[in-house]
Amino acid sequence: MPELRKDPIIDRWVIISTERSKRPSDLLVEKTRSRGGFCPLCPGNEDKTPNEVFAVRTGNTPPDTPGWKLRVVPNKFPALVTTGDLNKRTEGIYDRMNGFGTHEVIIETPDHNATATTMTVDDFKNIMIAWRQRILAYRHDSRFRYISIFKNYGEVAGATLEHPHSQLIALPVVPKRAVEEIDGAQVYHGHKGRCVFCDVIDQEITDTRRIAAENSRFLAFEPYASRFPFETCVIPKVHTASFEDADEAMIDALADIMSTILKKINSALGSPPYNCMLHSSPFNTDVGAFYHWHIEITPRLTRVAGFEWGTGFYINPTPPEQAAQYLREAPIG
Amino acid sequence: MKKLLFADDEESIRLLYKEEFEEQGYEVILAANGHEALEMFALHTPDLLVIDIKMPGMDGIELLQRVRERSRHVPVILCTAYGEYKQNLETWASDEYVVKSANLDGLMKKIERLLTK
Repeated sequence: MPELRKDPIIDRWVIISTERSKRPSDLLVEKTRSRGGFCPLCPGNEDKTPNEVFAVRTGNTPPDTPGWKLRVVPNKFPALVTTGDLNKRTEGIYDRMNGFGTHEVIIETPDHNATATTMTVDDFKNIMIAWRQRILAYRHDSRFRYISIFKNYGEVAGATLEHPHSQLIALPVVPKRAVEEIDGAQVYHGHKGRCVFCDVIDQEITDTRRIAAENSRFLAFEPYASRFPFETCVIPKVHTASFEDADEAMIDALADIMSTILKKINSALGSPPYNCMLHSSPFNTDVGAFYHWHIEITPRLTRVAGFEWGTGFYINPTPPEQAAQYLREAPIG
Repeated sequence: MKKLLFADDEESIRLLYKEEFEEQGYEVILAANGHEALEMFALHTPDLLVIDIKMPGMDGIELLQRVRERSRHVPVILCTAYGEYKQNLETWASDEYVVKSANLDGLMKKIERLLTK
């Protein structure tokens, strides 16, 4: 019989379709096509990008030249602008403000054809260092309230270039998804005096059925009320609200678990398109007692349609317990 | 005389470009689609291209790729009626991005700036 399961943080219900549960081979994995052609993110084409704001380089190579392992550049054609103020105003019942914000692209490796499977733990470490450094660069700018860092892999997931990259958007407001999580965590903390994420971690470690990978500092598990097949949450075992507070040991462990889980997803599902999103605390808010940063990875294996858009319900054809088992057994090589 | 190649599937827009930019002293080459633009590019070696993104058949993004395979330095300005391509990193292979407008002042300034770079 199918099950309705409720997410303990945001009270979102999902339908877990246990009767027609789908194995990895039953799921529609849309292959990422290599389109080839000129790539503005490749080494040698630095003149086609804005000047870098951060880079990991070999030797003393100058900025905006080849010799980098990772580069961060502002968006060449940004949708938001970094100049001016917010000028918040109303129009009747509607609120609006100037389109203020920043948008950066993290070029994760010089290798155009690299994937999570071919990237090393050191490559992942560079990415995590860049994410942390860029958040720290904006943290004390009072105009920003929230940083969204995300990666789209594959056309279906929204990637327009196959060269490995992630993106950062700094916003003057806290987005709805983050507010829902924070509010849910605050309510739980109000009732029980504990962090809901820490309680989830404790239960998952005890239960073990939904754990996909683990190291000394991080857990990668399939959430109890997963919306999508193979939806994975990577979370630090120790309570921390802000990703950017991670020290070197945490960054090392995070690089290790990200490398492991993405390699396993690729191996189990044949390099599916996916989105990867960092959820960290907003700036200048007192959520440290009850919020817990984490990374959400959602392989794009099912389509979101009218039912999902209309209700906020999701139908997941692969129970998270099965997905976790497939991932535990998947090789990382 | 600097040569500008405009690729746009709308005839009225092409004629507007021709009228305005010839008056500014440029040699204007027009192409109604991506394939024609590639032929014109090979034939005339323009100093700068203005490419409409939404064209039937070969769209502006593919045309940009084809142009970059032939020349990575010729300045290219992408043009569209909407701003929806701002999320598309393939547009970075161009040098500028403009939202289409009947007022060509902004486009003209960008062309002048790129040609004097």
